[in-house]
Amino acid sequence: MTHAVYRRAQLESLVEAQGATRAAPPLLLPADPYFDLAGEEFGRRLLLTSGANGVEHCLRPDFTLPIVADYIASGSRQPAAFSYLGPIFRQREGAPAQFDQAGLELLAHPDGDIALDQVLTFARAALDLFGVRPHIRLGGVGLFEALLAQADMPAPWRPRIRHRFGHTEALGRLLTRLEAAPDAERVPQPARDALIGEITESMVAAGLSLSEGRTPAEIADRYLEQQALDAAHVPAATLQLLRDYLAISGPVLQSLTRLEALAARHRLMLGAPIRAIRRHLDNLGEAHVTFDASFSPRLDYYTGIVFEMRGPGGAVLASGGQYDRLLERLGATAPIAASGCAVWVDRLEAEVSP
Amino acid sequence: MTGLTLAVPSKGRLEEQTRDWFAGRGLQITRPGGARSYLGAIEGHPEITVRFYPAAEIARELIRGTIDLGVTGLDLIHETSETGPQAVSTVAELGFGNADVVVAVPDSWIDVTHFHDLADVASDFRSRHGRWLRIATKYITVTRQHFARAGIAEYRTVESLGATEAAPASGVADIIVDITSTGSTLAANGLRILEDGVMLRSQACLFSSRAAEWPPERRSMLADLLGALGASPGV
Repeated sequence: MTHAVYRRAQLESLVEAQGATRAAPPLLLPADPYFDLAGEEFGRRLLLTSGANGVEHCLRPDFTLPIVADYIASGSRQPAAFSYLGPIFRQREGAPAQFDQAGLELLAHPDGDIALDQVLTFARAALDLFGVRPHIRLGGVGLFEALLAQADMPAPWRPRIRHRFGHTEALGRLLTRLEAAPDAERVPQPARDALIGEITESMVAAGLSLSEGRTPAEIADRYLEQQALDAAHVPAATLQLLRDYLAISGPVLQSLTRLEALAARHRLMLGAPIRAIRRHLDNLGEAHVTFDASFSPRLDYYTGIVFEMRGPGGAVLASGGQYDRLLERLGATAPIAASGCAVWVDRLEAEVSP
Repeated sequence: MTGLTLAVPSKGRLEEQTRDWFAGRGLQITRPGGARSYLGAIEGHPEITVRFYPAAEIARELIRGTIDLGVTGLDLIHETSETGPQAVSTVAELGFGNADVVVAVPDSWIDVTHFHDLADVASDFRSRHGRWLRIATKYITVTRQHFARAGIAEYRTVESLGATEAAPASGVADIIVDITSTGSTLAANGLRILEDGVMLRSQACLFSSRAAEWPPERRSMLADLLGALGASPGV
């Protein structure tokens, strides 16, 4: 047996050993759910094909979505675990569009901490098979949401800031805009009804539907809210807090200490999400672990702790975390906890066979 | 391959202006078979074969490297492939065919004047309307790249191959990304360009292909031609 075949067999055993159902979703899947869930940004990576009836299909670009969709369709709310290893397909620059991923999905697990531990352990074990001692980067989505909920600011700014979390440039631009917020002259605001009337007229004149897309009331309300927001500044101290928070990045223990000091200084209750991160550190053992406060996937269904594991060359070899909002986004009627990760088998193979 | 292949737009004003531009630099492009022929030459430069192609095909073939030089719009280089701009060198900006790729919203969206407003509107569009914000455009690659840089992911593109400015009124899309030189067509359709809504300033350019083969003898032919044009060496 060659080394590559041996490693592959070991990975196969590891995937089988998770006490999970082995998932094997079809290779050809409807494309719409992917666009619906992840938008155009992910959509451009799909390998698309359309049927004779015009319906778009894609070659399986990941395992998580079909696994979770099946689970929701089954109607079960019981804890369930799924593991997988097989080919997925994505457009990539300078790399084959077909490559293997392995992974684990833990759904409706009663204890999110334990579930995440199993996920982290699985990812570590997969990397171990290839002799990789990873650099692990942790991010705290739940932590940022807790900070945002407590930070002093006019409420409508919170979703605007949350929405940009994970996109460093976009969030930086928003903070810069808020810092520079001029003392706008208070122009007298038009009455809401009059504004709706004007917008309605303008939409009708342009031949726009008043109900299919944005409605006159929605536009008027956001306009008035925007005017009010220009006057309702985010306090300078809050902006500084956000800047200080987002700048925290480095060895995990040192970062958490800085976080605690920041929380104490601003009288923020961040003990629970910080403790949640600390609890996982024991299991990460010898690995080089950093915490980066600004790190988050750009998908809004991630919730608690997120992670990625990189090899010596800097390539992401495994990534995942907690995404308790995913099942709702895919149609579940109540919140269902979820943790999981994906391991990039082709990159792991490249780590050992240059 | 021993000679050089130069592709120029096969019809319309773009063809005329391209031939004028070369003629202004002492190079007469001939098209012996008339408008229905796709093969031409440059007087006094037997090493150059001229091909007449539609502008979009010129962009594609430059990126693939099947032609060496070509005149086409910068917008088409950006749209044809994400890596298009890296696959070509701009030899000369020709100063015509000027147009901007812009994002425009209905005039009635009085609350949306900048990209950051669009980001806010897009972020909760689905929870309000049960579907993503829809953008009609033929510039799908340019749109995806620019929106990604702006931090906007919550939208769907609707491919539009003509009369994009009519898409909001016909209910096909909420906003559009389109090319415009004066903005008057947009205004006539009740659309307004965002204040920071210019995504790409385009014009006709002479490009050389980085993907083509450039052995020394062809490189020196290129240098001679560009010298005659008074252009930078490219590639």
